[in-house]
Amino acid sequence: MELSYLGDDISGTITRDGQSFILGDIVADVDNAVWITIDGRRQQAHVAASKDAWWVHFAGHTIRFDIVEAGFTASGSGGGLTAPMPGKVLEVLVETGQNVIEGQALLVLEAMKMEHRILAPKDGEITAIHFNAGQQVTGGALLLDLQSE
Amino acid sequence: MLKRVLIANRGEIACRIIRACKEAGIESIAIHAANDSGALFTELADIAVELEGNTIAETYLNIEQILNIAKDVAADSIHPGYGFLSERAEFASAVIEADLIWIGPSPQAIIEMGDKMTARRTMRAAEVPVIPGEEVEGGVEEIIAAAAKVGYPLLLKASAGGGGKGMRAVHSPEDVREAAEGAMREALNSFGDDRVYVERLLSGSRHIEIQVLADNHGNTIHLGERECSIQRRHQKVFEESPSVALEPDLRQQMGEAAIAAAEAVAFVGAGTVEFLLTPKGEFFFLEMNTRIQVEHPVTELVTGVDLVREQLRIAAGEKMSCEELQMRGHAIEVRLYAEDPSNNFLPAIGDLLTFIAPQGPGIRLDTGVRQGDAVTPDYDPMLAKLIVWAPSRQEALQRLARALDEFIILGCITNIRFLRELCDHPDVIDGWTTTDMIERLWPDGWSPDMTGRTLDAAYLAVNAAEASGYGRKNMNSGSSNDGESATPFATLSRRYP
Repeated sequence: MELSYLGDDISGTITRDGQSFILGDIVADVDNAVWITIDGRRQQAHVAASKDAWWVHFAGHTIRFDIVEAGFTASGSGGGLTAPMPGKVLEVLVETGQNVIEGQALLVLEAMKMEHRILAPKDGEITAIHFNAGQQVTGGALLLDLQSE
Repeated sequence: MLKRVLIANRGEIACRIIRACKEAGIESIAIHAANDSGALFTELADIAVELEGNTIAETYLNIEQILNIAKDVAADSIHPGYGFLSERAEFASAVIEADLIWIGPSPQAIIEMGDKMTARRTMRAAEVPVIPGEEVEGGVEEIIAAAAKVGYPLLLKASAGGGGKGMRAVHSPEDVREAAEGAMREALNSFGDDRVYVERLLSGSRHIEIQVLADNHGNTIHLGERECSIQRRHQKVFEESPSVALEPDLRQQMGEAAIAAAEAVAFVGAGTVEFLLTPKGEFFFLEMNTRIQVEHPVTELVTGVDLVREQLRIAAGEKMSCEELQMRGHAIEVRLYAEDPSNNFLPAIGDLLTFIAPQGPGIRLDTGVRQGDAVTPDYDPMLAKLIVWAPSRQEALQRLARALDEFIILGCITNIRFLRELCDHPDVIDGWTTTDMIERLWPDGWSPDMTGRTLDAAYLAVNAAEASGYGRKNMNSGSSNDGESATPFATLSRRYP
């Protein structure tokens, strides 16, 4: 990906599989529009920034790009299980040291007046449980650790 | 004639009722929790009063406090909207005892329909067909025994329930105990009542509901059907009228059954009788909602009747103003939720950094939010209802697709893309809509059909915006991009003669 600057104008290209797009001018209007030219056709993208992410609407899709600070990596490969949103732990269905199978319910979370079941994404052993029933959790909080062989 | 209506609700339905009041020349009073200060409905109302307390129980469900405010502001009537206290008979009674007009049916009708088990018995007596099932008195063991009699698959439902809370589908006997415990617990948390009953799960069925309207002058009419089959987590997402499944004969039969159901409880006001329609064409009573419903605009667009205005009229003791109905064209409503359809429709939160609603012919938007508002976990995640009308079903779907393409919400994950892809699905186009449709079409969950190219282009746009500092700058300074714009207070001076 390449961006180049000429005064206030920004243009850029991105190359994938030998094909390039050209990003046209950034048009400053109230709706935060960015114009992108692909194959000679101008299309509008809408962008907005929050504290920790950039949001963009393009071609009917809404996409969130998290702003990742240097030194931090997104969890995922570690097998941690996080709360999808703020809520309260209703019930912990497993114990530390227990072996679980993929799809098994591990924990019940109440958020937005609904019960949400946190399921095991893979087979493995529960190595830590970070919350007890009745505790409040924030969105993204690590609930338990699952170690797979 | 009502003069001053207090609206015991919030969000989009409070806005809807306030607008009807304004059109009828009636003053409107909004009440709101502290965390709803500055919400759209508080600004639209003639007077807004803040409720004391933090939890929903201390605020929107606090009957005593609401009645005290009604007295303080000299309201003459209370409209409950939907949800919250709208189907609490003790609230209706308390309103009436405080010498206020209750914009809804009698407390007795609410009791008879509100408890789902009692309603099943009342409907059987009125010869309205009910789903094969068992009422249950007792706890988990009794539920398990009843389940064995009903057979699998089955549905556990909270007797005090609604909105999918306290509801569980059970496909085999091994799962029934855990499901019963979960349903009872959720029912207790949501409604303070853990009674659960058992119904056969009629898969492949459609959810068809009939809107009824009844006044105190002996008139009970039905306003045709709404098909609300497309649901996720037992909550509706896509509602339309008319239904492709109803021929005039069946419409008439279901309409008559709905009127019989309403008359069985001497119903007055606006209500909805919900049915399941099986693939064989049999229909069964599900429940009656004794209040205005979320999806009422669909009926308004095809009948031309303003249901909320009729509620106000009927509550004032007048006759309803609609008699000979002419159904015209086709209407579809979709519910825009702050939720992630690619992650099991889990609710989402965030700030509405950008909120650009579609415009143009045949489009109606009922919402309680606007750009700049925050979506919090405190309340229901519904952001807006987008309703379209067109002469035919095909054109209505095309219009809906176009409107969803125009709809831009940034700062919070929504189901807009999911709804948009529904519009193109062959089963939706053919009208093969059933209550288990989303599981049937996407057994492994839904994900957007996004090309790598779209993602690349979006990434490029964001990087360009970040590099220019553009989206950030604009977010904070609103629409001014012409440098420092001076405030009129600094440049205008006023002299008094």
